[in-house]
Amino acid sequence: MSSISLSAKAVPEKAQFGMRARRTLADIITYILLALFSLFVLIPFFYMFSTSLKPESQLFIWPIRWIPEPILWENYVRAFQELNRIAPGLNFWRILGNTLFITILAMVAELIAVSLVAFGFARFRFPGRDVLFILMLSTMMLPGIITLIPIFVIWRNLGLIDTYDPLVTGIWLGGGAWAVFLLRQFLLSIPKEIEEAAIIDGANTFQIYYKIMLPLVKPALLALGVLIFQGNWNNFMGPLIYLNTPVKFPMVVALKFFQESLSKEAPKWHYMMAMSTVMAAPILVLFFTAQRYFIEGLTIGAVKG
Amino acid sequence: MIISAWETYFPTLIRWSAVGAGVILLMIGLYYLLRFFKVKHEIANGYALILPWILGLLIWNLYPFARSLYLSFTQYNMFQPPEWIGLDNYVRMFTKDPYFWPSFRLTLFYAALNVPLGLVGSILVALLLNRPIKGIGIWRTIYYLPAVLPAAAVALLWRWMFSPTSGLINFTLQPVYKLLNIEPLAWFTDPDLLMPAFVIMGMWGVFGANTVILLAGLKNIPKELYEVADLDGASGWSKLIYVTLPMLSPTIFYNLVTGIIGSLQIFTQAFFIPIPRASGTFLNVKIYQEAFSFGNFGYASALAWFLLVVILLLTLLVFRSSALWVYYEGEKRS
Repeated sequence: MSSISLSAKAVPEKAQFGMRARRTLADIITYILLALFSLFVLIPFFYMFSTSLKPESQLFIWPIRWIPEPILWENYVRAFQELNRIAPGLNFWRILGNTLFITILAMVAELIAVSLVAFGFARFRFPGRDVLFILMLSTMMLPGIITLIPIFVIWRNLGLIDTYDPLVTGIWLGGGAWAVFLLRQFLLSIPKEIEEAAIIDGANTFQIYYKIMLPLVKPALLALGVLIFQGNWNNFMGPLIYLNTPVKFPMVVALKFFQESLSKEAPKWHYMMAMSTVMAAPILVLFFTAQRYFIEGLTIGAVKG
Repeated sequence: MIISAWETYFPTLIRWSAVGAGVILLMIGLYYLLRFFKVKHEIANGYALILPWILGLLIWNLYPFARSLYLSFTQYNMFQPPEWIGLDNYVRMFTKDPYFWPSFRLTLFYAALNVPLGLVGSILVALLLNRPIKGIGIWRTIYYLPAVLPAAAVALLWRWMFSPTSGLINFTLQPVYKLLNIEPLAWFTDPDLLMPAFVIMGMWGVFGANTVILLAGLKNIPKELYEVADLDGASGWSKLIYVTLPMLSPTIFYNLVTGIIGSLQIFTQAFFIPIPRASGTFLNVKIYQEAFSFGNFGYASALAWFLLVVILLLTLLVFRSSALWVYYEGEKRS
């Protein structure tokens, strides 16, 4: 240490000043670059929101009015009225209900299934465990499109096309490999002694799972929860394939329906942007309130793995 | 006739609860069955707990996997039983379908541009964020924003951004068009420009998530390594080349693999953005159309298997190459 402080003292005034100037310059460049990147990210967002509040006459004028005059909040109401005209019965509350129904049921089933399986993989020794675990990891590489058609045939044979079952009921069997992997990483880090103490106290497997494991991995469960919620809220292919009746559509498929019908007439971009904003808003709110969990869930697989 | 919400939700709710309860009962049943045969407590517990996944593996993975391979050698429209036609679907794909090669080229080209550009961009931003700067939480939040957006909303937004007559991009470029005296560019509807447009949209989307992952990787690099490098009088540049990048390489590798797999499977954005027919369609969309619009489930399965082989080959290639450039701390020491 002493050699460093000595050499620092030995540096002449002028050079030290030069170093500090270089430091400041680097900082300024960093901030400028970061600001430029964030403009690239934020401008489209703002453009979406601004378009959604514009009267139709202002959509196509240059220079762009970033803050519309007047601000038409009723675009949001009108967009849904328009959708209701195209697909009778599909009003705002119905779409919200459909989306939440799918999202919540899928999330609950996946969290329960995944936590049980991860508990099994992390805390018990049984023959073939490691082979099965590697098999599970390799299913992550399998593109969803490969299994799509046979799975569709299974649901068709069960007579459950145009119901929500393919989107929510099938999840009880298995759950995502990625989610099991993530949760297992957390469960592995819990010391064995806690479990042993509970067994001595006469706790059974379910009690250990419910009273010890789940509370200890609560942050991981929350992280998984928000990511699964987001995944199901945004999921497009599943509802697109399995649902036919417009009143059953969740928001994302309604958006497609809306877009197709509107494209036949003049594109009503202000309504489409209003719908996109409505679709994005809950996820953004969730992101801002549970940001820590989003980032934790995202990074754990890459860094801990 | 409008079906009431109750009529749609209730039957599913019942079946959902029944299947959930059924799976739990099966797990308990398996445990007692194994115990009955004098299997040790720990082993019986383990198998019982992973039962949901075993069922899922069989029903949602292994069976459909084998079945779709079989279907790829058949003609199948879902109304008649599949009819074995040997390699005809593959022959059709490679020699007869005029849209197959353009679609494959489009998908591959998209991944080849999107993955490296996105990765280099997010490494740069992650390095900037890793400097001692103020307000890191705010920057990270901003960059991560696009990643949480529904792909459908992203697609619609960028269609509007790139709208030839009135999108933000063409409005901004108006002076350039005037200067060069050319027509405004058509972006998504121009065969030569749809690729850059898709790549810009793709980068906007993946940018943030990759950056956050890479930043976490950067924060994981032990500080001592830099202190040692400082003592050796290493410059900023050589610290980047000899410390930061090697230590970050496992995270870069992870992003590369997931990026390739993800880009080749682009679906929702491609579905929302119509492009000229001659340019082909992204493979996932083509598979969807062949199956669910035209009812060619056999041919669609063959296409899906082709996509799987491409993904596996590329992933294998990346894994093979990883020995050359990915540095794992545990390995070198031993």
